[in-house]
Amino acid sequence: MMKRIGVSILLVWIVSSVVFLAIHLVPGDPAELLLSSGGVAPDPAAVEALQRRLGLDQPIAVQYANAFMRLLQGDIGRSMKDNSSIAEAIMRRLPRTLELITAAGFMGILIGLPAGTLAAIRRGGWFDRVGSWLAALGLAIPVFVMGTLLVLLFAQMLRVVPAGGYVTFAQDPWLHLKLLSMPALSIALHLAPVVFRITRASVLDVASRDYVRTARAKGLSAHAVLVRHVVRNALMPIVTVIGLQLGGLLGGTVLVEFVFNWPGISSLLVESVSSRDYPEVVAIVLVISILFVGLNLLIDLIYGALDPRVREG
Amino acid sequence: MKARLLIPLAGVAALVLAAVGAPLLPIPDPIHMTVGQRLAPPSLAHLLGQDEYGRDVLSRLIWGARASLFVAGASAFLALVIGTAMGVLGGFLRGWVEIFTVRAMDVVLCFPPILLALLIVTILGPGIGTLILVLSVLFLPGFVRVAYAGVLSVRSHQYVEAMRSLGASQPRIMLRTILPNIAGPLLVQLSLAVAAAIALESGLSFLGLGVVPPVPSWGVMIRSARAIMDRAPLLLLFPCIALTLTIFTMNALCDELRDTFDPHSAALRARRRRLLDFIAPGLLPDRGQAVLDIRDLSVEIETPNGVIRPVQKVSAVVAAGETLAIVGESGSGKSLTCLAAMGLLPPAARVTQGAALFEGVDLARADEATLRRLRGGAMAMIFQDPMHSLNPVHRIGHQIEEAILAHHPMPRRQAEKKAIALLARVGIPDPEQRGRAYPHELSGGMQQRVMIAIAVANGPRLLIADEPTTALDVTIQAQVLELLAGLKRESGLAMIFITHSLPLVAEIADRVVVMYAGEIVEEGSVAEVFARPLHPYTAALIASAPSEGGSAPQGVPGTVPQPHALPPGCRFAPRCAHRLDACEQAPPPFVTPAIGRGTRCIRWTLL
Repeated sequence: MMKRIGVSILLVWIVSSVVFLAIHLVPGDPAELLLSSGGVAPDPAAVEALQRRLGLDQPIAVQYANAFMRLLQGDIGRSMKDNSSIAEAIMRRLPRTLELITAAGFMGILIGLPAGTLAAIRRGGWFDRVGSWLAALGLAIPVFVMGTLLVLLFAQMLRVVPAGGYVTFAQDPWLHLKLLSMPALSIALHLAPVVFRITRASVLDVASRDYVRTARAKGLSAHAVLVRHVVRNALMPIVTVIGLQLGGLLGGTVLVEFVFNWPGISSLLVESVSSRDYPEVVAIVLVISILFVGLNLLIDLIYGALDPRVREG
Repeated sequence: MKARLLIPLAGVAALVLAAVGAPLLPIPDPIHMTVGQRLAPPSLAHLLGQDEYGRDVLSRLIWGARASLFVAGASAFLALVIGTAMGVLGGFLRGWVEIFTVRAMDVVLCFPPILLALLIVTILGPGIGTLILVLSVLFLPGFVRVAYAGVLSVRSHQYVEAMRSLGASQPRIMLRTILPNIAGPLLVQLSLAVAAAIALESGLSFLGLGVVPPVPSWGVMIRSARAIMDRAPLLLLFPCIALTLTIFTMNALCDELRDTFDPHSAALRARRRRLLDFIAPGLLPDRGQAVLDIRDLSVEIETPNGVIRPVQKVSAVVAAGETLAIVGESGSGKSLTCLAAMGLLPPAARVTQGAALFEGVDLARADEATLRRLRGGAMAMIFQDPMHSLNPVHRIGHQIEEAILAHHPMPRRQAEKKAIALLARVGIPDPEQRGRAYPHELSGGMQQRVMIAIAVANGPRLLIADEPTTALDVTIQAQVLELLAGLKRESGLAMIFITHSLPLVAEIADRVVVMYAGEIVEEGSVAEVFARPLHPYTAALIASAPSEGGSAPQGVPGTVPQPHALPPGCRFAPRCAHRLDACEQAPPPFVTPAIGRGTRCIRWTLL
C-alpha cells in the first residue's frame, strides 16, 4: 500500500512537470504563441510584457524551480486577465462540479447496478434484451447531445424546468435541485449504460464460478447466493469501472456545464481556454489531475477492502 | 462473414462513401448562404430545410460527416501507427525504450481525456490540425498497450525464437511475425478509437474549440442550432440524430469485431430454462436400502455446434454406509451425472430423461425449494478444486456458518461455535484462529478440509466427492482420503466418490461404476471388477494404473470420442484391441451376468 501511495506521489510530480513544461514543448516563443491568433503577429511590446509577467524571460530551470517552490507553498498563481487569485476561483467552483458528479454518480449507479444485475440473472429474457439495447443507445448519445435534447424537451417544450443556470442551495433549495437535476441526469444517462454493462458482464462471470456452485450446494436460498456470493464478488470490477468513469467526469463535465450554464470548475476551464489564460489553465489542470490520481488511489483502497487477496499483495 | 458484423460494417461503409463523395453528390453548397430563405422548412430543393443563414441542412449534415470522419479517421490512424510502433519497440527492446514508450503512457492516463485536450488546445489554438493531434495523443495508450501485450505474448513463441536463430534481423522479425498476430486486437482498438474520436470531436467543436466555422461539423451545427431551438427544433434534432446514429453504428461494429477476434468476450447464447420431460421414472421396484437411486438418467447440453448428450441412460445405486466409485476419463460424464442429481447442472445443461431418487424424492423433477432444503442438508457435495470452490472474499469460518444457518436457524454465536468444532473435526489445527482466515491464506489440503467441513456441517446422509484429491499432492491426498473414510465410518453415510484413478478406488470404494463417453460400461464390486474386468476399457484402465512391482503401466491408446462425433456402434470400439465388425455396427446392450454386475461389451464372455 505504501508503494501504491509512493507511485501516486510520483505520478503527481510527473503530471505537474508535464503541465508546466507543456507550453515549452511547442516550438516558438510561448508568449508569442499565447498572444497570436489567426496568423496575425502580436505586438512585440505586449509579448515582452507577458514574458516578464509569466517569468518567461528567465532560464527554464529557474522558472521550473520557482513554479515548484510556489506550488509547495500552496500558491497556484494568478489569472492573466484580472490578476485575481486562481485558488479562490477554484475553491468557489470545484464544489459545484463535485456536487454534480456526486449526483450523477448516484443516479447512474442507482439505475445501472440493479438493472445490470437483473439483466444478468434473466439473461436472454426480455428485460435483458431491452436493457442491453437501451444501454447501447445511451452509449451512442454523447453527453452534450443528451443535455441539449433534455433542454429541448423539458425546458423548451414542457417548460417544467429552466434551461440552465445556477443558484446556491441557501438562496433557493428547490430551484437549486431543479437546476441540478438536468445536468446530473444528462451525465447519469451516459453513466448508467456503462455501469449496466460492466455489472451484467461481471455478474455473469461470477455466477459461473465454482464458489457459487459451492454456495448453492450448501442449500443457500437463491437470494443469499445472489447477494452474498454473486453480487458481493461481482462488485470489484464494477467499483473499478465506476471509479474510472467518475474520474473521467472530473474534467468531463465540461460539456454539460457548458450546456446548462453550470458554473463549475470545468466551465471555468473552458473560459480560460477560450481566453487563453495560460496560468489559470495550468492551475486547473493540475488540481483536477491531482484529484484524479487521488481518486484512483481511493479506488485501490476500496478494492483492497473488497478483496482480501489484494490487501497483503 | 456473419450478418451481425455485416450490418454495422455496411452502415459505416455507407457513411464513409457519403462523406468521401460529398463533393460529387448533387447537393447544394453547404456554406452558400441564402439569407432570404432563413429557417425555411423542408422542401424539394432542400429536403431537410435550411438553417439560420439559409444554408441547406442535408448538405451540411453530409459535409459534417466528412469533417467528423476525417478528424476521427486521421487521429485514430495516427495513433495506430505511432502507438503500434511504440508498443512493438518497447516490447521487443525492453529496458529504457520500454520506459519511454510503454510506461510513459501512464502519464497520459493521469489526465482526464478532455482536460488533456483542452490543455493542448490552449497552447496551439483551435482548428482541425490541433484536433487531430489532441485525439491521437489521447488514443495512443490504448494502441501501445495492445501492441506491447501482443509482442510480449508472441516473443516467447518458438517460431520467433526459431526465426531469430535463423539469423533474421530484428525489424524483419517484428514485421513478419508480430504484426499479423496482433492485427485483430489492433483493428478492434482502431474501431474503438474512431467511435470515441467522433464523440470527442463533436464535443470539442460544440464548445467552439474544435472545427472552426464556417466548415460544417455536427458539433458546430448543434452549437448554433441551440440558440434558436425555440423557433427551429428540427435544426437541433437533425445533427443530434446523425451523431447518435453514427456512434451507435460504430459501437455496434466495435462489439462485433471484438466478438470476432476475442472468443472469450462473445457472450454465450441465451439458454432455455430447465425444461423437464415428464416421462414417468423407471417402473422398477424400490431397491430397499438405496439412499440414492439413479435410473436411466440422461443429460443434454446445447452447444453452438448442436445438442450433445454427455450422460446417456446412466443408472447407479448407493446404499447407506456404502461407497460407490464412479470411474472414467475426463469427459466421461461422471461429474455431470452427480451434478444432475444435486440439481447443480450448469445453465446450458438439462436432464431429459430418467430419475434420481434420493430417499424416494425424484431429484431430477424436484422443484428448486425442495432441492435447496436437501442440498447441504441431507446430501452434500465436495468439489475438485478447493481453491476456486471457496469464496475468496469471505472468511472460512463464515462460509461454514453459512452452511449451518441455511438449514438450522440459530444464534450467530452458536453457529460460530459449531463451525469451530467442525474445523477441529476435519483436522485443522488451531481452529478458532483459522476460522478467521481467508481461503487464500490456507494450503490446498487445508482448503479441501474446509470444503469437507462445509459438506458435513449438517450431517448429510449422502456425500458426493467429485475428485476431491486431484488438486492435492500425494501425502495430502492420503490424509484427505483417511478423513473421508473416518467420516463415513462414524456416521454411516452413503458416499459417491468420483475419480479417474483406479488405485484410489481400490483403497476407498465398495462398489465401482466405470463410465466411458457418457455411458456406463461396467459395474460391480471392487474386488470382482479388479479381479475379472468384463469390459476391455476397464481392463485397459487397470493395466494403465501403476502397480507395485508389476509390469510398467500401459496407456490406453487413442482418446475419448468428442460428444458430437460419437461412433455409431460401441463407443469404445475405435480404441479397443478386441473389437469385431459387429462392435462397429450397433451399440452394444448393457448385459448383467450376475446381480450387481454389468458390462456393455458383446464379448464379455471371452475376456
